[in-house]
Amino acid sequence: MTIQPRLTKVFRFVRAHYADGVAELAYAFDDGAELVERIRFPQAPALPRERQAAFDAALKLLHLVAGVSYYKAGVPPRIEVADGPFDDATAELLDQLYLHGLAEFAYRNGLDLRGRISFPRSTTPPSPRRGEGRGEGMDLPQAPALNLPKRTLVPIGGGKDSLVAVEAIKSIGGEATAVWVGNSALIAACAERTGLPTLNIQRELAPGLFELNRLGAWNGHIPVTAVNSAILAVTAILYGYDSITFANERSASAATLEYEGQQVNHQWSKSLAFETLLGDWLHTHVASDLDYCSLLRPYSELAITRAFAKLTPYFDVFSSCNRNFKLLGPKPVDRWCGQCPKCHFVFLALAPFLPKPRLLAIFGRNLLDDDSQAAGFDALLEYQDHKPFECVGEGAEARAAMYALSQRPEWQEDALVERFRSEILPQLDAAQLELEPWLQPSPEHRVPVRLQGALAAIG
Amino acid sequence: MKFGGTSVATLPRWQNIRELVASRRAEGARVLVVVSALTGITDALKQLCGEGEPDKRKAAAGAIAQRHYDLLDHMQLALPDTLGSRLSDLAGLAANGPAPRGELAWQAQVQAHGELMSSALGAAFLSHSGLSTQWLDARECLAAVALPNQNERTRLLSAMVEAKPDPALNARLAVLGEVFITQGFIAREQHGRTVLLGRGGSDTSAAYFGALLKAARVEIWTDVAGMFTANPRQVPGARLLQRLDYEEAQEIASTGAKVLHPRCLSPLRDPRVPLLVKDTNRPELDGTVIGPEVRAYAPSVKAISARKGITLVSMESVGMWQQVGFLADVFAQFKQHGLSVDLIGSAETNVTVSLDPTENLLDSDAIAALASDLAKVCRVKVIAPCAAITLVGRGMRSLLHTLSGVLAEFGQLRVHLITQSSNNLNLTFVVDEEVVDQLLPHLHDLLIAAGALRTDESALFGPSWQALYGGGEVPDVAPAWWRGPQRQRLLKLAAEATPRYVYHLPTVRRQARELKSLAAVDRLHYAVKANTHPAILTALAAEGFAFECVSPGELEAVAAIVPEPVPLLFTPNFAPRRDYVYALATRATVTLDALHPLERWGELFRGREIVLRVDLGRGLGHHEKVRTGGSGSKFGLPLDQLPTFLQLADAHGVTVRGLHAHLGSGVLDAGHWGEVYAQLASLAERIGSVAFLNIGGGLGVPSHPGEARLDMAELDRVLREVKAAYPHYQLWMEPGRYLVADAGVLLARATQQKGKGAFRYLGIDTGMNSLIRPALYDAWHEIINLSRLDEPATALYQVVGPICESGDVLGTDRRLPEAQEDDVILIAQAGAYGKVMSSHYNLRDEADEIIIE
Repeated sequence: MTIQPRLTKVFRFVRAHYADGVAELAYAFDDGAELVERIRFPQAPALPRERQAAFDAALKLLHLVAGVSYYKAGVPPRIEVADGPFDDATAELLDQLYLHGLAEFAYRNGLDLRGRISFPRSTTPPSPRRGEGRGEGMDLPQAPALNLPKRTLVPIGGGKDSLVAVEAIKSIGGEATAVWVGNSALIAACAERTGLPTLNIQRELAPGLFELNRLGAWNGHIPVTAVNSAILAVTAILYGYDSITFANERSASAATLEYEGQQVNHQWSKSLAFETLLGDWLHTHVASDLDYCSLLRPYSELAITRAFAKLTPYFDVFSSCNRNFKLLGPKPVDRWCGQCPKCHFVFLALAPFLPKPRLLAIFGRNLLDDDSQAAGFDALLEYQDHKPFECVGEGAEARAAMYALSQRPEWQEDALVERFRSEILPQLDAAQLELEPWLQPSPEHRVPVRLQGALAAIG
Repeated sequence: MKFGGTSVATLPRWQNIRELVASRRAEGARVLVVVSALTGITDALKQLCGEGEPDKRKAAAGAIAQRHYDLLDHMQLALPDTLGSRLSDLAGLAANGPAPRGELAWQAQVQAHGELMSSALGAAFLSHSGLSTQWLDARECLAAVALPNQNERTRLLSAMVEAKPDPALNARLAVLGEVFITQGFIAREQHGRTVLLGRGGSDTSAAYFGALLKAARVEIWTDVAGMFTANPRQVPGARLLQRLDYEEAQEIASTGAKVLHPRCLSPLRDPRVPLLVKDTNRPELDGTVIGPEVRAYAPSVKAISARKGITLVSMESVGMWQQVGFLADVFAQFKQHGLSVDLIGSAETNVTVSLDPTENLLDSDAIAALASDLAKVCRVKVIAPCAAITLVGRGMRSLLHTLSGVLAEFGQLRVHLITQSSNNLNLTFVVDEEVVDQLLPHLHDLLIAAGALRTDESALFGPSWQALYGGGEVPDVAPAWWRGPQRQRLLKLAAEATPRYVYHLPTVRRQARELKSLAAVDRLHYAVKANTHPAILTALAAEGFAFECVSPGELEAVAAIVPEPVPLLFTPNFAPRRDYVYALATRATVTLDALHPLERWGELFRGREIVLRVDLGRGLGHHEKVRTGGSGSKFGLPLDQLPTFLQLADAHGVTVRGLHAHLGSGVLDAGHWGEVYAQLASLAERIGSVAFLNIGGGLGVPSHPGEARLDMAELDRVLREVKAAYPHYQLWMEPGRYLVADAGVLLARATQQKGKGAFRYLGIDTGMNSLIRPALYDAWHEIINLSRLDEPATALYQVVGPICESGDVLGTDRRLPEAQEDDVILIAQAGAYGKVMSSHYNLRDEADEIIIE
């Protein structure tokens, strides 16, 4: 009998297993066939004995987090875990991740996940791994410190943010490895350009997932940064790194829209809320000296684009475009689709900080002189539309950038800048449109002391 | 004869030079060889000049000397005194530094040594190998002139020479010998100082000497056979230009061709010395001859070029209208900000200029500062990134009428500026840079197809770059089937009756097998609209093809012929509801390309699997009417309606199993399908239910002699590459014309001739009623007088049919043998869209159809 994904009753976390550099994560719906995802860690070293317990904890988390890709195919009413139930902190992390991380998916599919997602909790918490406390409060028992080597995993995404993070760490002489998950020629090219050692982890989705899709599974956005974070937590323990520094910026915490009383944030797994949940969980359940943070958390998109505008050597390799370019070519159109919100936003946010011909050479065209792109830019400005479901900056930030351009003679006659001046600007309060406030960092971040010097390099 | 840096850097290259010089001597010519410095030496000398410390300069001079010792070693020559003294001069210059002479004069002196040394070495080698050669100091012949707009730097480092024929120099050389060698790049100014000629200096030196000596010709020996009709890197089908006049060549050189420096032509113009460009490695190739204007040929576009990275500044103000000095003020701003203006276009209230890409433009605030200053006097708009596409050819204005297809192509684009100067040599369009890479090869094809670039004029246009240099082997194009043993049979068939179509099944099978060699393709459909003859359907079914139909009629015709399990695809456009009802009752997979069927007739499709045809937003193809992508075309669902379509599908329980796009016909660039495929795959990833991608057909069939065929090996490589990136999708294609075009010919007979002014019309017994493609798409079909296949083509005909329409023309300006009444005229490539598009118009008899095995 073929399975009807949308009519399934139970989603089961079957098992997680690691051997010889390959993690196998198994899931199933009802009594259906196992869905087995494989994650390959290249040239994985032998695991030191003292890290075994931490590794097991991280692998278990990875199993639970990566399950989100499969769970969403059916969204059945019940979740079963072979080795559950969990302590409160773990169950809370997962409940939050599945609820908020799938909020956009639910919104787009007209589903309501509230009350549906509940990971089993034990009434008496199993004792977490005890270690020396770090004085963060009575309620947070620490996992032991593992004396992990003082070096950093920097995930590379091919876009500007991770490259700014890389250069910031390089500026303080920090030891770091550029790491990425999956096949991407673009990311590989960017990683190589950083000059750092590289590590490419392979993720193979269970083939059964494609089959489920063909059978009419639910489909949509998943919190992929959470999955990558969990993969990197395993990586850090396996290869020996004391920190994982993402490049998630301030605006990642802002909701895209509110829907029936629920905040829907496309970037939830890049938000400070998730960073805090996962960072604390790693300290309490894996290793007290494994730090998980975002180096760009204090900064707005505009502060980051300003920093990136100085990194000329990356201009001909990077791309933030969300079209999946699996094949690379030498031309700008081979990296920038020019149609998606990411292209729109990065173009707009870089424009105040680069000579116009240089910016246009990066993109190969002028997106702001193209009438047909008006709706796309309107959405960024939150003018007559909500912010797009993409990792882009805040509306007010986009308005500040557009306002800056509208004051510059070399930009102000371009179709969409001119439209902004004549149509949108009169409805705005110019006092709210200054660029300068966006360039000030906020104090809120979780960057460990060892790496805080890098923040200065960003500005 | 001029030889560049790589040509003088090794012993084998010098042996090559020796042979070439000897062959010219054998023809009775006296030879002056002009050489550049050994490759890399000029850069090394420049670096030496930039070195502050004397020790480092001395070390650099030592390394440079060593290069020459090494080459001498290979030549098994002792150090000649001439070279020895140059080397010690250089060592002295390096040790002393610039002080005594002044920085710039010292730099010129140092850099001149590259050529002084290579020529001394060459003189020794040539003389030693038995070709007595005199060393000549170029500075004693070339006198730089001081020009008013020069500063000290340009006077010394990029000097100009006024080269007029100098019989005294001829006389002086005549007594010295037969073979001379001298330096490129250097000259002497009025105060006796050594000066340089700047970039491209050696070519320019050769030209100066050519003019001074009023030489029989100047030969530039380089690494390519000459100038081409386009940059071969962008247009592999670019043709070698065998004859150009000075002005055309200069225009081509200055709008992009790198083979010659634009400066090297003007010295030759007055003395009318021809210049010949030759390939050192392939001396047997004809090369390009550049000389005085030749009037014997019809006007033709000679080349198309593109320059990228252009920034336009558009200035708009009513203040400029009839205002004295407005432009002077505006241009002063460009000068002040260090930006050099290239093209200019103007209207009463607008002036638009172009700026070439320079570091100053890209990495400084120059453009922002310029815009701020200009904004005080006018509205200013900065438009970039642009590309200037230039058509070059003498008498461009007289060619305008042939450019309608080309202009229509520009009509689809944003054209920011058009310029045409009074010298009537060029026509330049400034467009968005992003379109250029695809546009250029396409325009090149269009220019040929429109008869604007007269590649049929074999004295002007040589072989294509691809044929000369492309990928080692050029697949031999088999002569068309009707030229061989089948010719007699065709003549017999025509004697029975005309007009008639004849289809050669072995050719259909050959084409089918060629497509089957594309390993990445999982299923091939024959697009039956091209030709529905039952024998062709049967042959292709036997080759394992599936079938693509666009109407119930086609479905019926196919169902009657092909066996049951063969898959069918129904891909209609604007089909009525009843067509879908019909198709859904067959085994055909149905393709939708609009919201309407799901919005209004959704229940028809409930529970079905369908294919969605999307419009990826731009069209391709050889003519506007065969382009099926872009908003101007009625095909495909625009991408912004995709989410709505998917919601409707979901609401009606319809599964989108396949995605399809087809952008046009007659596409010859293999990369195009890879791009369509990758775009469809990235869309499919968002849909989930998709299992296959149908990338359409449109595989081009070249029609003109010498036109490059679609490169199947390259297409195979491109498709495999995308397939490897998206292994979970099946790949489908649906070619039509590619399978059957070459297999079919239309036979007709000549009825009469008529002369009218300069035109000669050749009438045949059928026309647009049998074959409408020339009238509908400006399609070019080869036309042959089959009765006189071996006679010389001396007449120039307009080949016309008997239909009462002025558009009933099958071919214009065709070179054919003198025809007689009843000669059999063959129209080639008529197997696709021939009979299927024919009509009874004028109630003329229809052509019948004959199959031959």
